[in-house]
Amino acid sequence: MIVGIPKGLLYYKYNPFLQTFFSELGAEVITSEDTNKKILNEGIKYSVDEACLPIKVFHGHVFSLRDKSDIIVIPRIMQVKKREYICPKFCGLPEMIINSIPDMPKTITEPIYAISKRKLYNWAENAGSIITKDKSKIKKAFNRALIEQKGYDSGIKDENYRLNIALVGHPYNIYDDFINMNIVKKLNKLGIGVITEECLSEDLINKEVDDLYKRPFWTFARNSYGFASHISKEKQVNGIIYISSFACGIDSVVVELIKDKIDEFPFMILKIDEHTGEAGLDTRVEAFADMLERSC
Amino acid sequence: MKITAPHLGNVYLAAKALFDGLEIDYIMPPLSNKSAIEIGSLYSPEEICLPFKIMVGNYIQAIEKGADTVIIPGSCGPCRFGEYGEMQMNLLNKLGYDLEFILIDSPGDIGIKELFNRIDRISTKSNKSGRQKIKVLSDAIKIMNLIDKIEGEARYLTGYEEEKGKCKKILNSCIREALKCNNPQEMIQVLKEYEMELNNIKLDKSKNPVKIAIIGEIYTIIEPFSNLYIEDKLMDYGVSTQKKLTPSWWVKNMALSPVKLNSLDIKNAGKEYLSIGVGGHGRECIGEAVLAHENGFDGAIQIFPMGCMPEIVSKAILPTISKDRDFPIMSLIVDEMTGEAGYVTRIEAFVDLLERRKVDALSWS
Repeated sequence: MIVGIPKGLLYYKYNPFLQTFFSELGAEVITSEDTNKKILNEGIKYSVDEACLPIKVFHGHVFSLRDKSDIIVIPRIMQVKKREYICPKFCGLPEMIINSIPDMPKTITEPIYAISKRKLYNWAENAGSIITKDKSKIKKAFNRALIEQKGYDSGIKDENYRLNIALVGHPYNIYDDFINMNIVKKLNKLGIGVITEECLSEDLINKEVDDLYKRPFWTFARNSYGFASHISKEKQVNGIIYISSFACGIDSVVVELIKDKIDEFPFMILKIDEHTGEAGLDTRVEAFADMLERSC
Repeated sequence: MKITAPHLGNVYLAAKALFDGLEIDYIMPPLSNKSAIEIGSLYSPEEICLPFKIMVGNYIQAIEKGADTVIIPGSCGPCRFGEYGEMQMNLLNKLGYDLEFILIDSPGDIGIKELFNRIDRISTKSNKSGRQKIKVLSDAIKIMNLIDKIEGEARYLTGYEEEKGKCKKILNSCIREALKCNNPQEMIQVLKEYEMELNNIKLDKSKNPVKIAIIGEIYTIIEPFSNLYIEDKLMDYGVSTQKKLTPSWWVKNMALSPVKLNSLDIKNAGKEYLSIGVGGHGRECIGEAVLAHENGFDGAIQIFPMGCMPEIVSKAILPTISKDRDFPIMSLIVDEMTGEAGYVTRIEAFVDLLERRKVDALSWS
């Protein structure tokens, strides 16, 4: 059986788990190609117009797997932390796909509550039972997958650069080099090092978030806010770049909260959507780099 | 202390009765209007959704009239509405107003004790006894239910009325007269009179009007200003409309949600298409579309503010429902830039389409 895993959204964070789990079960796992123009175009064609860029790109990935796989995994990630969500669109992702792309093969759409090992195992049991009836095999694959995931570190922490910036935003905007037009490489070329939120410990993020009147209920918003606010206070970097997809509801809130908190600290928002021109993005990044250069 | 709260459809009648009954000083913001949305858009983050902007406009217009305590409604995700409180407090503070905020949040998040603490900050301002307070509160809820019922009936009966425009006239003068009352009992009396009047209206049962269900994001369908008074417009066309999501539905839904008995009909109807809550009222939107078809409606109009996350999910699903059931559904997206002419054209075209489907205008036989 061929299991297709689309290389979009939180694939960049949780791919070791999904890959290991399904291949340990004895399925042949294929992933879509890295995001490219064709995938983007298919995504725009099939997705609902109002969706944000990462969701459209995900549609493109699923479409590219459609004719190659027997079953496609559409992770409906509801929660990765207690009392927190990712985004409403994640909760309804499978429905968006199934109703937008015609002739879909079978899909795995069980909701994922990764708030505890037991809850996550519920998902594994359901998803695994489609491939094998052997419970002990599922258990083994699940444990292996967890170990793989734990050993996986997706953060970026450049060293030996004179100027450094914090790259903030949802993981799928930061790690998908097509979506963000290779921003990390661009910055490195300009002599700027990049740090991402994974380099900050959970405790420090929690401490920053405590200052808020209301407990934020989106996991990645919480991380972005805590990271940006801590790193600007400690002056560990010279500036912050926030990569935000156009019409992202979560970013519209977090960006505002960060702006309120960091005051005059150099901060640039890069909006990306399917129409973003690379030249314009280059100009903005260069201007920001110049500004940092002069102010230090 | 002068309390104010944002507008949501006709809830201001109940709010007025509540504060009148408790004898608490309050300032009602002017009904949502063009300058409210202009003020709101000026100070709000650009990409935030429309309800945020109109609410900020409401607050500031009320503050200009002397309000110093703001009640902010809240929730705890996953839709953006839950973050409104935090952002609106920051925003108003930054504008330099000296205000007290009372954030009414869901007890699941802040704890029932904290919620009562916050409500206490309002109710201690009243000199009434505990029993009287409860009476006033139940009157206010009664008023909300009554006005929702009257509005719903007037909008649905429009298609059947003998004298054109009668329902609209009754509805408008009902709201006008109710607003003149200065205590809850009086208001209930007025509402009941109008309810009677509406019941006695002359109807032409032989008519077969176009019937449209209004579905979508709760704020934009309840607050008439945000949807450019779509229901009034449809009334003028002689179209019967119905919306399930009303303030009284919301209260009932909230009260029943801890035991998971809330809106079972809507949830069941939509199960086939969306079996899991996606935040906001995305799931309800799907269920209502299916219900509208089952209940013999001719079509549905989905309304949501630009960028609304849960409704984008439902917008992706609605075409399937429409195709499966041969049921026309139109999505209208509103924001502060919505132009009325283009909006009206779309509504008219949709009503035309439904009319033609009814009389089979395209067939030659």
